[in-house]
Amino acid sequence: MKINFTNEQNIFRDEVRTWLESNVPKTPLLSLDTKEGFEQHREWERTLNEGNWSMVTWPKDYGGRGLDLIQWLIFEEEYYRAEAPTRVNQNGVFLLGPTLMEFGTHEQKSKFLNAMATGDHIWAQGWSEPGAGSDMAAIRTTAVLEGDYYKINGQKTWSSRAAYADWTFGLFRTDLDSERHRGLSFILVPLDLPGITVRPIPQLDGEPGFAEIYFDDVKVPLENLLGGDGEGWKIAMATAGFERGLMLRSPARFQQTASKLLELYLANQDDCSPMIQAKVVEAWAQSESYALSIYHTASKMLAGGSIGSESSLGKIFWSELDHMMHQTALKILGASAELSQESKNDAAKWIKGFMFSYAGPIYAGTNEIQKNIIAERLLGLPR
Amino acid sequence: MNFIFTEEQIQFKDAIKSFLAEECAPASIRDGWQKNQSFNLERWKNLIELGVLSSNLPEEKGGLGMEQVTLALMVEEMGYAGLPEPVAEQTFLVNDVIPFLPQNITEAVESNYNDAAQYIALAHPLAPNPLFLNNAAGLILLDNSECKFIAKDDMDFEIISSNDPSRELFKVSSMKNAICASENFDELNSAVSARGTLMTAALLIGLAQKMIDLSSVYVLDRTQFGKPIGSFQAVKHMLADVAVKIEFAKPAVYRAAYSLSENNPKSALHCAHAKLMCAQAAELACKNSIQAHGAMGYTWEMDLHIYMRKAWSMMACWGNEDKQQEIIFKTLSSTSEELGVLYTF
Repeated sequence: MKINFTNEQNIFRDEVRTWLESNVPKTPLLSLDTKEGFEQHREWERTLNEGNWSMVTWPKDYGGRGLDLIQWLIFEEEYYRAEAPTRVNQNGVFLLGPTLMEFGTHEQKSKFLNAMATGDHIWAQGWSEPGAGSDMAAIRTTAVLEGDYYKINGQKTWSSRAAYADWTFGLFRTDLDSERHRGLSFILVPLDLPGITVRPIPQLDGEPGFAEIYFDDVKVPLENLLGGDGEGWKIAMATAGFERGLMLRSPARFQQTASKLLELYLANQDDCSPMIQAKVVEAWAQSESYALSIYHTASKMLAGGSIGSESSLGKIFWSELDHMMHQTALKILGASAELSQESKNDAAKWIKGFMFSYAGPIYAGTNEIQKNIIAERLLGLPR
Repeated sequence: MNFIFTEEQIQFKDAIKSFLAEECAPASIRDGWQKNQSFNLERWKNLIELGVLSSNLPEEKGGLGMEQVTLALMVEEMGYAGLPEPVAEQTFLVNDVIPFLPQNITEAVESNYNDAAQYIALAHPLAPNPLFLNNAAGLILLDNSECKFIAKDDMDFEIISSNDPSRELFKVSSMKNAICASENFDELNSAVSARGTLMTAALLIGLAQKMIDLSSVYVLDRTQFGKPIGSFQAVKHMLADVAVKIEFAKPAVYRAAYSLSENNPKSALHCAHAKLMCAQAAELACKNSIQAHGAMGYTWEMDLHIYMRKAWSMMACWGNEDKQQEIIFKTLSSTSEELGVLYTF
């Protein structure tokens, strides 16, 4: 065990920092859930790609740098420290990317990974349906193979980024006689095909962060099938693991929030109840623990281990932590915790984060589902 | 950066685990309770023979010179087994702080401590009631202003009962011929506090793991409404909550141990962090385990309370949750620029 950064890792950190310092937009971009903001964020994805920073862990052939998970975590630390824009293509680079790497053909990898890295394809998720939320195996949207294309009919919902995205990936029932998690396939669908209707859904903050997608005889070429026909469930579980675990929820985000919370508290300490202090300490302690745990996991994976149901532990931990931190911030803000316009202490930003923190325990599989997974797969309790 | 254990570290952990599974079963702990002799001399002798007690003494003093991470892994297993003998928070602690003791105290300790066969107790404001004085060769008394060593024959003491019958606590009523040193004990005090904090944290994480393991077995076995109660979501979720707490407390222990062995200037902060996380995990483990056991959890008969009682004591000693929060806050508010996203390692 050696838990210090190597010289090489520190040099890499400096390189990331230097690049970010000169490239991160000086004024914050508009919200990525607005049309204009979305395009600004797409532009930022392009800038990242020009610096070869789209996804440092990808192989060089696919536009990455071929770096390891520790370097990825370092990159993320610098990224959050620099307060760089949210990755509008996170569904692509953090979720579909690693999934393609594992299950995609060479042709799929070169086509999709590159377009993802350049920001030409911004991806939406297509998991949930009106009748398939926590019970994802209840998916009913069908994709019927007719010659060399699938014909898709049905509806997806809560599809993150779909309001403005270019593509969606999701699970579709390709075997009409199948039930539950059998007979599902993982298909990549361009959102501009005839027969597709996207209906944005305004979220709690009023902006359309997700959408419904209606499919009416939509023809998708067979080459857009990822993995084998009927293997969708297995592939989706791998993607979900990335979403719950260390790719999408790297610790830097929560550590950065904890630091900001500490700053906010120290600046307003005199006006706060002494009870708040313990929460601020909790925020630091838990985000620190999350970071330690993720470095521990990353080290295990580098040594050849794999991550399974353990990602459910992390998903509960970070989502509860994120909510607790924002709730605490609002307590510190006192009466200004209702101001949604720019004001002292960045109140509006905290409120936005606060509202978003309610989504964490729901998306990527609700925390209740995660607890079932933990109980059944890690503690050995019966279904 | 390589945050995984070496094979050797795992071997030490596994070895002590199987030893304790054999030698420290609940029946043997209860036997100690019944005889009012929780310090099992047989087991102690075996721990000496295995070289466990001198693990962290330097090689020239007959030890293995073991660093803190391996030690913490072993201590975790001692918690898991509910080991009554105070190996972690007394013997390992004393071994470790010998280099920080004033010269005359070191000499006194070492003359009473040849070949590590003897037990030396230590009392400190964070754990003021010395353990198993009747089995000790002597006592180190330490506070902010003085450090004393008293040989066993030079003191009178009486037993005070602990809520954990595995812990025989004592109060010294009189002493003579104390070997005293009074200089600046800041360094010694922080060394002792940090190690006491880490040792209790490691014990707590083992205890929490034990409680959740016992509970998982119990809820599989107990049926109601025609099914194992472990199939009900309310029960599953209680235990899953504990699993989450444990998962994120463990790496804090290993990091704190690593910091101590590297003399990291932030090791006091890291130990406080470990104890905070472990105390919270253990607290929830106690609450949800007893709940998962239902009324059986509230009985003397069920083994759960062997571990629950030790956990309550370990939470209280060497700084409870609030104390650790205070230490963390003091550090955070004085040096905020060196904490946060870039300063975990």
